[in-house]
Amino acid sequence: MTKSPNIILYLCLVYYLAAALVTPGFFTVNNTWNLLYNLMPLLIVAVGQMLVILTAGIDLSVTAIIAVTSVVGGYIMSADYSPVDSSSLAIALGILGMVITGGIIGLINGISVAKLKMPAFMVTLTGLMFFGGFAVWLTKSQNIYNLPAGLVDMPYTSFLGLPLPIWTGLLVLGLIYLVLNKSLLGEWIYAVGVNPKTSRISGVNVDLTIIMVYMLSGVTAAIGSVLYTARLETGSPVMGQNLLLDVIGAVVIGGTSLFGGKGLLQWTVAGAFFMAMLDNSLNLAGLSYFLIMIVKGVIILSAAMLNVWGERKVIWSA
Amino acid sequence: MSNPVIFKRLRGQSIVILLALVILVFSLLSPGYFTTQNFLNILLQASGLTIVATGMTFVLLTAGIDLSVGSIMFVAGVISGKLVVGGLSVWLAVPVTLVLGIILGLMNGWFVVRFKIVPFIVTLATFFAGRGLGLLISETRAVNLPDEFLQIGSARILGIPLPVIIMIMVVAVAQLVLDRTVFGRQVYAVGNSQERSVKAGINLNRVLLRVYIICGCCAALGGLVAIAQLGAVSPTFGFQSEFMAIAAAVLGGTSLFGGKGRVFPGTLVGALLIQSIQSGLVIVNADPYLYPLITGTIIFLIVLVDSQRHYRRKQMKGIST
Repeated sequence: MTKSPNIILYLCLVYYLAAALVTPGFFTVNNTWNLLYNLMPLLIVAVGQMLVILTAGIDLSVTAIIAVTSVVGGYIMSADYSPVDSSSLAIALGILGMVITGGIIGLINGISVAKLKMPAFMVTLTGLMFFGGFAVWLTKSQNIYNLPAGLVDMPYTSFLGLPLPIWTGLLVLGLIYLVLNKSLLGEWIYAVGVNPKTSRISGVNVDLTIIMVYMLSGVTAAIGSVLYTARLETGSPVMGQNLLLDVIGAVVIGGTSLFGGKGLLQWTVAGAFFMAMLDNSLNLAGLSYFLIMIVKGVIILSAAMLNVWGERKVIWSA
Repeated sequence: MSNPVIFKRLRGQSIVILLALVILVFSLLSPGYFTTQNFLNILLQASGLTIVATGMTFVLLTAGIDLSVGSIMFVAGVISGKLVVGGLSVWLAVPVTLVLGIILGLMNGWFVVRFKIVPFIVTLATFFAGRGLGLLISETRAVNLPDEFLQIGSARILGIPLPVIIMIMVVAVAQLVLDRTVFGRQVYAVGNSQERSVKAGINLNRVLLRVYIICGCCAALGGLVAIAQLGAVSPTFGFQSEFMAIAAAVLGGTSLFGGKGRVFPGTLVGALLIQSIQSGLVIVNADPYLYPLITGTIIFLIVLVDSQRHYRRKQMKGIST
């Protein structure tokens, strides 16, 4: 493992201060909540993605998982379709259904990569096409409305002073932290990323590790989808459509190597925070949609340059 | 085994057999599929993707990635459209657009070699910036192209559509460059091991810079060829084209980890395969909602069959050594 402090952490801090000074309305209580609400689902999906990338894989299907689970959850929970009368039972079943759906898609991805020896990029790209198309086909591109009040109010419900989405994010982060740093699976994930062949010889269950990371990615995408669905108050077949490169970008800008084996949870947290902050501050600055995209590109590049200068070494470990 | 060379070549190209299989299935499903006209159409519609994927193959061979090709296609389409609408001749607008593609590719390459930033991040940045620039210029509206453009798309030389001729030329030149030039060998060497290629005296930065320039130029050209058939540039033109280009190259046997792959037949067959499926679905009148499901499933099965063959061959090799 590298011990060099990753500059993305400082970069986040500097950008935060700069945005607070320059952008009116950024450094307010209201916007801070807003920022955190936007951050949580992205962060949750990104840490799942990080596990996959640590094994030198990639999961392009996460946005399709977000869409499919949003639709599945919508059908289970919405008053228009729901088979159950009690709304709290519907919410429980809905969230359970979403997580199971995400897990199953992750399982399919994982088995295809680990057991069928297919390239992760192609498996999850076809997954993106298939499940993205499946969500649209299932709903005939209609949104699902009339979600139960309990779910819609969830983002604004507090427990011990913190809103539930923040708790969700902290819980997922905590679990992933334990998996990565305190469990055998965590050791295996890094080992597989460094070299699958030698780790297999030294007793690592490579196939199981790979299946687990894709399942975790599927489950985190589903949890992210719960938050998005609650926030937008609809089950939508195009939910998360434009998020894919934000998710992978958050992981990679956090310094996780796409070639596997190198990356830390806190880097990805910083990377996701950076991406969410970028969107939030540029929106507040009142820039038009296309200017936001241009500036976003420039800032991502500048951040990466600073990162390289900070490390003073080649991060391209190909 | 009477002709071992051909046998060996075919064995390495299971993707060609799979393409034949896809064509066979669609031909059985619909009589309109197995016609010269339809095959010409498939070639025509695949031309843009093939050209973009050819440039992408160079980048993938060096273990890089270029996420910006879809955005470059979009910017190229918007700017050439605006130039021609503004009164510039098509014959000037096309080279200007290609130069633009080269400049964007140069920018990608420059950031990769000068600052040692991972290609994924560099091209992610140009992905956002390029899309934003295109939307800015087009004011997020569709750009309708004048007839001169459509004439390029529908022009024929000796009965063969011009886009197909351009595609064949690009593929042929690209494979010749890879096979017959020093630069071509250096691309493979860099992809196999950057460290060793530097030790062997290869100018790593120059090779990387060139592959991104080639990719940018191919993306602009592919964009032009595609819009010459469409007649308009919508704000979503080129969206997710980067993934389709990578898919075409990978289906054709190019490794995402560098050093392995060919433009001909590999990438060309990969792109034709994707287009054959899409044309087939239109001809058999499939429910449009099902297109992505069926396309996804077929590509998945093809990758599955292909990887099983590779895996088994590897295992056999492992036993024999």
